[in-house]
Amino acid sequence: MLKFVSRRLLSSLIILIVISATVFIIFNYLPFDPARLACGKHCTPEIVSGNRHRLGLDVSWWMQWWEYLKGIFVGRTYGQGAAMFTCPAPAFGYSFNQHACVSTILASALPVTVSLAIGAFIMWMFLGVGLGVISARFRNTWIDRASNIFVLVGTSLPTFISGLLILLFIVLKFNLISPLDLGQWHSPLTAPWEWFTSFFWPWLSLALIYAATYTRFTRSNVIETSSEDFIRTARAKGVSERKVLWKHTLRPALAPILTIAGLDFAGLLGGAIITEQIFQLPGLGRLTLQAALQDYDLPIIVSTTILAATFVVVANLIVDLAYAFLDPRIRVK
Amino acid sequence: MSVTEIEPGVKVRTPAQIAWTRLKKNKVAMVSGFIALFFILAAFLAPFITNLLNLTPTAQYSSGIADTGIPIGSFGGLSLRHPLGLEPGVGRDLMSLLLYGSRISFTVAIITSVASIGLGMIVGIAGGYFGGRVDAVIGRFSDLVLSFPSTFMIIALSLPLTQRVEAAHIARDNGARVVVLVVFFVIFGWPAFARLVRSQTLSIRERDFIMAAKAQGASGRRIIFKEILPNLWPTAIVFLSLSLPGFLAAEAVFSFLGVGVQAPSSTWGLVLSDAVSYWQQDPAYLLIPSGMLIIVVLSLNLFGDGLRDALDPKSDRA
Amino acid sequence: MVKLWKMQTGKKAIAAVSAAAVVATLSLTAGAQSASAAPVKGGTLYVITHQDQLDHADPQRIYTGRDIAFMESYVFRTLVMYKPVAGTAGTGLVPDLATDIGKASDGGKTWKFTLKAGTKYSDGSAIVCEDVKYAISRTFATDVITGGPSYAMQYLDIPTDAKGNSAYAGPYTKVGQADFDKAVSCSADNRTITFKLGVAKPDFNYAMSYPISSPVPAAKDTGDKMDLAPLSEGPYKVASYKIKGEMDLVRNPNWSAKTDSVRTNYPDKVILKFGVSEDVRDQIFLKDTQKNAINFDALQLQNNISFFNSPASKTRGLNVNDPYTVYSAMNVSKGHLDCLEVRKAIYFAWPYDALIKLNGGAKLYGTPGDNAIKPNIGIDYAKTTSHINDKNFKSAGNPAYSKTLLAAAKSKCPTTYAKATSADQGITIDTSDTAAAKKSAAIVTPAMEAAGIVIKYNYIPTGSYYSTIQDNTKQGDMSGAGWGPDWANASTVIPPLFIKDGGFDLSQNWDDPAYPAFKALSDKANATLDRKAQAKLWQQAAEYAMAQYWLGPVSFTKQQLSWGSGVGGVDFWAPQGTFLFPALYVKK
Repeated sequence: MLKFVSRRLLSSLIILIVISATVFIIFNYLPFDPARLACGKHCTPEIVSGNRHRLGLDVSWWMQWWEYLKGIFVGRTYGQGAAMFTCPAPAFGYSFNQHACVSTILASALPVTVSLAIGAFIMWMFLGVGLGVISARFRNTWIDRASNIFVLVGTSLPTFISGLLILLFIVLKFNLISPLDLGQWHSPLTAPWEWFTSFFWPWLSLALIYAATYTRFTRSNVIETSSEDFIRTARAKGVSERKVLWKHTLRPALAPILTIAGLDFAGLLGGAIITEQIFQLPGLGRLTLQAALQDYDLPIIVSTTILAATFVVVANLIVDLAYAFLDPRIRVK
Repeated sequence: MSVTEIEPGVKVRTPAQIAWTRLKKNKVAMVSGFIALFFILAAFLAPFITNLLNLTPTAQYSSGIADTGIPIGSFGGLSLRHPLGLEPGVGRDLMSLLLYGSRISFTVAIITSVASIGLGMIVGIAGGYFGGRVDAVIGRFSDLVLSFPSTFMIIALSLPLTQRVEAAHIARDNGARVVVLVVFFVIFGWPAFARLVRSQTLSIRERDFIMAAKAQGASGRRIIFKEILPNLWPTAIVFLSLSLPGFLAAEAVFSFLGVGVQAPSSTWGLVLSDAVSYWQQDPAYLLIPSGMLIIVVLSLNLFGDGLRDALDPKSDRA
Repeated sequence: MVKLWKMQTGKKAIAAVSAAAVVATLSLTAGAQSASAAPVKGGTLYVITHQDQLDHADPQRIYTGRDIAFMESYVFRTLVMYKPVAGTAGTGLVPDLATDIGKASDGGKTWKFTLKAGTKYSDGSAIVCEDVKYAISRTFATDVITGGPSYAMQYLDIPTDAKGNSAYAGPYTKVGQADFDKAVSCSADNRTITFKLGVAKPDFNYAMSYPISSPVPAAKDTGDKMDLAPLSEGPYKVASYKIKGEMDLVRNPNWSAKTDSVRTNYPDKVILKFGVSEDVRDQIFLKDTQKNAINFDALQLQNNISFFNSPASKTRGLNVNDPYTVYSAMNVSKGHLDCLEVRKAIYFAWPYDALIKLNGGAKLYGTPGDNAIKPNIGIDYAKTTSHINDKNFKSAGNPAYSKTLLAAAKSKCPTTYAKATSADQGITIDTSDTAAAKKSAAIVTPAMEAAGIVIKYNYIPTGSYYSTIQDNTKQGDMSGAGWGPDWANASTVIPPLFIKDGGFDLSQNWDDPAYPAFKALSDKANATLDRKAQAKLWQQAAEYAMAQYWLGPVSFTKQQLSWGSGVGGVDFWAPQGTFLFPALYVKK
């Protein structure tokens, strides 16, 4: 077991290293020059090269990459004299645009994205799994048919359309959120109600889409499992329908769903770009979008990209390890 | 395959015929198939249709636009002349815009689907058939690709890469943007299908007829092309029909976010992102394209489901 | 030399924001509140913007007109200031930290300002001449103090090297400090500052109305970090400033109205709220949901139209001529537009009517213009004979005339003609990546096609738009831009726009055969001290440049302000192109 865990850890680490290196290589060959963008109006070649030096861009990509990785553990200092600034560990670079260490910027965006992901996750798991179980239990009744329609519409509705329609024709039309509050961050610790109301609609528009997929998946898993021999045996033994469903069917039927859920959740932690953009939530996704499409703020783009990849890799790792604990056969593979 | 001689009188049908019969019985799938086909045909016949209706896609019907920029008349200036109304501000005919726009969207979706299926097929068969180190390398590589935050990468890289494509004289303007989008979609799209093909190849490889072919001394090439590939077509067709709406929606999302095709061309995503600023004064301009996009994606999904049920009844979603 | 760093969001295709000093003729279509109601103290004034931050908050780096007006009204003080009144009177200078508006001698080559007694920073320490000198010296440190105006570098008598870089490198490296100390000096009592200029500059004191003259003590200079926590000597100090959050201003106890005839401190607090979504911001002003708020931005186009058409809201709005000329520069150097006939062909096919309708109509957007200098600059403007005054001009576009021009070009400059009309090459228009720009593209492209000209669009991310097009190698054939004069003299319009190294020469016209004669004319105007004679020369220079069609389509644009019903004293501050902040108060 230990061997499996260490091997899996190692391979995840390698993937992360390769991803971060790839990101550096790709961005190193872009026609954008951050040193030039940070230059201002009276931009002479001297200033550009000075900026390049200050930003640590006057070295090869692997040195930049190494500095970046090192900065995560020991912090980083840029420039000297009046222009000097230090980013303490974990340092992810410095954004000239926002006059701030990227770690500070990430730290303010992360709670928003995490709140969005957790709330949406809880909502869609309840909605999706619940509806899936119900429609499997009452197969071919009107409930099943209604949920089928929900699944069809939900899986066919692009997120940006459902988000837009909810925002424009429900939230703004009926003044459900005070306009000044839209996109404002409230900490769940100090203002739990404001936090809840500001996230409710984004949660809903995300959850609707995911829930549809999960309803479909849960339903077919439950139906498949209930036709397995051990369920028939349980029924034959006279176990009540309720107990068959709760004790015997759901556990094996839901295990694969949790795997997918873990990965979906990790994907959302990297930033739900569309929902964040539509509801103006200042999370990682919107941060990246603005950095990429408005300012071309490279330190931010690089960091959010690597961060999002990290979430996916870590989630993969956790799911694999959890599986190994549950199913010993995997370990020997 | 003339088996008729063995059992005379019994009409024997090919798997494709069986599937077709099953599909024909599925009314929902057939209807949505026709709807999807209608939209696809309309998109590719856009110049013909607009010509027929005497509409010019780039023309500004400014007489139909009030001084405030909003189309005159209810539902966004809906009329016989302009069946879906007018675009506020500029005054182009909305139907022509959407027809020409969906032509781009469908092109992107079709090329992307076919290319990622082709790539996934090659890689998946290679992994599944050769196994061992080849399979391991392919597996790790697709893990790596899937770990990249694809949306971020597309957003961050599309602008600089478009410039690169233009500088390399491969394509220009929207052509270059489409190329970049397609390449990205394929890069992040193939691993899913490759995994599916790999697992299917693994199971087919162990089946009796492959054993038999191998025993007869058939070359590896023959086995792959004559024995394995034909058995993968149903999977490919189902995957195609289900990934088409996915890529269609993805194209719309990216052009909504400002990546991909740009004005003066027009796609669903572009129209919708423009429509947001008019939602109060001209809600029809937002609702009509949204509704159409939903109908197209929904009917493609439904048809894909039906196709899957028909080709592979075992996969029945029950 | 006004700089337009960020594009105005939403409203105009190619408008930009900048500082400006213009004799504006106001056209009040909606009623400004009468000044008769007496201002009251107290309350919180909200200033709402979609932008995530001020472009800069360091006094020596700030260069965006709206931001200057805001910070100069509440936080910074400068040697001289614009008179805080509406209308043309507001373009005159009044003393601020100085006792007068500056004394010129030596034919305008030496300038002296004496500081008032009793002026203090928010920490209670006194303001001295050395602080103003140090502040000016910071603008030379171009590696740290980026983005601000470069008047000191241009005007002060400090040697430059062959590349035009100043011998002085700022107070951080102190390279060339002796040269600077010679050009700027303080009297023995540390009250009087003397500037020695390289050339005569009769309007040098206008440059001192910019926050570059806002004092900074050397001991309190935090370099790059000043941009987040600037010092204060005005009626308010910065209590907190968070990008994407807000900037909270609270009263500065060490400010006294006795030494300050410009500013007021009516509200208890002023909160500049950043990052408000455009839709939300617009709803606030359309529905008056936040009564004690003013809109730091323009409303989005459709909402702007609704706002100014609705009797309920339009009383809370002001529609005025802004200080800007909005234009497309024709880049002569790229080989696609180095032929006057081709430039003219593009101009005369321009679909003005449709574009203006798209942008809200003449009432809200503005009208086609004939000159780089806007009429409200005063005596430097004269009607030109080209552009809208050409007899072939049609505001709907005149593709037939363009075709005859192209036919002439075909024989006169066949290479350029071939490039402009071939599908492979065509004319590339740089534009900021906004929804409005994309809609304009849908109008311009077919209109040019009708004349036989191929147009391509290059959408540049808004944040890097100006830095991209000012890079000569990256600029396209035509670039949308906007320019307002820094103060009411065409010396801040003609040289920046049309002279090599003038700062904003997007026409890249220095290799055009017509350039040398123009350069001579412009240099002559710049050196002419007699204001009337100078104006005549500027008029000639503008006529010359416009007849060369170095600028394509020009518009004289308008600007709208909006605010909540709880704000009193609202008016337009013409030279700053925004609210007259010192007059604003929150109603009881």
